[in-house]
Amino acid sequence: MSGKRVAAITKRLLQQFRRDRRTLALLFVAPIVILGLLGYLIRGSASAQVVGIANEDQGPIGATVAAALARSSGISTTTIQSSDGDSKLKDGSLAAYIVFPSDFSSQAQAGTIAPDVHLEGSQPGTIAPVLQALQEALISAVSSQAPGQGLHVQPRISYLYGGPGFDTLDYFGAAFIGLVVFFLVFVVTIVSFLNERSQGTLERLMASPLRRGEIVLGYMLGFTVLALIQSVEVLVFALAVLKVHNSGNVALIFGIEALMAIAAVNLGIFLSMFARTEFQAVQFIPLVIVPQFLLSGILFSVSSEPKPLQLLSGVLPLTYAVNGLRDVMVRGADLSWGSLQLDVGVVAGFIVVLVIAAATTLRRRIA
Amino acid sequence: MSDSWAVDVEDVSKNFGDVKALDGVTLRVRQGEIYGLLGPNGSGKTTLIRMFVGLVAPNAGTVTVLGQRMPNVAMLSHVGYMTQAAALYPGLSVEENVRFFAAINGTEGGVKVALEFVKLYDRRDSVVSTLSGGMRQRCSLACALVHKPQLLLLDEPTVGVDPQLRVELWAGFKEMADAGTTIIVSSHVMDEAERCQRLGLILFGKLLTEGSPDEIRARAGTPTLEEAFLSLSQSRA
Repeated sequence: MSGKRVAAITKRLLQQFRRDRRTLALLFVAPIVILGLLGYLIRGSASAQVVGIANEDQGPIGATVAAALARSSGISTTTIQSSDGDSKLKDGSLAAYIVFPSDFSSQAQAGTIAPDVHLEGSQPGTIAPVLQALQEALISAVSSQAPGQGLHVQPRISYLYGGPGFDTLDYFGAAFIGLVVFFLVFVVTIVSFLNERSQGTLERLMASPLRRGEIVLGYMLGFTVLALIQSVEVLVFALAVLKVHNSGNVALIFGIEALMAIAAVNLGIFLSMFARTEFQAVQFIPLVIVPQFLLSGILFSVSSEPKPLQLLSGVLPLTYAVNGLRDVMVRGADLSWGSLQLDVGVVAGFIVVLVIAAATTLRRRIA
Repeated sequence: MSDSWAVDVEDVSKNFGDVKALDGVTLRVRQGEIYGLLGPNGSGKTTLIRMFVGLVAPNAGTVTVLGQRMPNVAMLSHVGYMTQAAALYPGLSVEENVRFFAAINGTEGGVKVALEFVKLYDRRDSVVSTLSGGMRQRCSLACALVHKPQLLLLDEPTVGVDPQLRVELWAGFKEMADAGTTIIVSSHVMDEAERCQRLGLILFGKLLTEGSPDEIRARAGTPTLEEAFLSLSQSRA
């Protein structure tokens, strides 16, 4: 063991990094950006779940419970007509709505508390706060109205999407199917296109009659074949082995996955133009993947993000793909849904932009 | 008639930032000629060759290849270009590499002929990453000539190739030239320079002198090409 020899290696390593500004930036800037983003995302999102209240009770208890719900900190409430409830769940403006039927008070006096709870249901994480707030409101209302009586609390719960057996994997599964494909295809593409540059074969391709568009298109098709096989595998595993909830058309899910894969291929080709070594290419992974992972609504729904981050989410392709996959798998959307048309259209638009960007950048780098 | 020239370079200059890679170079290569570009490392040989295939655009002057003003993508199928480092796909076999370069140049045949030319037909199924440096160089050569180009550009083609095979390859080049293929070779190996019909000496981006090996030796008044090259470089440096 020679201290000098060890020191030689250490010194050489630090010397190399001194000339590689990009790696230094990644080491010291990226953690702050990622943690800052995460902190802002979690602390900054104030908006609690909005719950609609339709009080049709002819007696006094419905109003008391509604007032107690309005005071609860876990949710925010708004007064609605029960007939509007379902459409407001569908358009996402409500996470749930609660109806106190006309016989609510008389039933309560007979010993049964039975509000109608309508849950949107696609996001398991939003259900617990609603039910908990209701529970607390019922207890406080009932103890003031009818102290000492033994009451049965029997809320009638219905789900717009999913159901009582719908769990976190069902919600995340839909998004992860897309994420896994997007991420892996991106990494494979960026590295192999970079190889083409570093092993000198790109120079040869450029000195052949190949057009830039032909190179980009050829790459796209080649990786798309791989990506489609991978998509099938991921989909089968998710649906057949993990039994992730799916209320939509499997072909449609596959179609969205395929679009994501093609977008990832082109993003990989495009970004490989800005990397000179595989090392630098790998550095794009945290920059491209982490923000999209945090902001595309996979973990935190976009509507609960702080406003400035919502704008950022709105320009990330993954946001639309994740939303589309959830629409199909959780909500059973088909192509007649306007929201799904938007999602698919935006992802397809990204692909076109990326293909053009990749082909143009290819030209600029060589000339 | 400009189209009797395979390559016609008129007063070409190219700067990379402050560095003058080429400075007013004029040279012409006849069809069916073997022309050697000679010069030390960094003299501008590779930049000139990259201009012939449109990878580098001159800042001033014109480059005409096979009668077409460069850059011109369409005529590149008539040009074969062997880069300095053996640029191949290491994960493919020898034959798969050659077949690929044939396909992107719009042909399918000629693979066997090209592999026999570089004496790699028996190793056609070997994966390139398992080959020695000299074999890779030969495979790279096969990729450059598989589509039977009219103009073959070879950037230091026989580096790492053993002497016996080098002789055979040069015999092959001679045959191709006799059949009408123009070959431009960049080299600093004097043994290769000796085999060219004409040589251009490039130094600091300028064409120092041009002529057959005999003419250059006579001009410098030295018995060998190597000494001629050194004495001519020093007289202008």
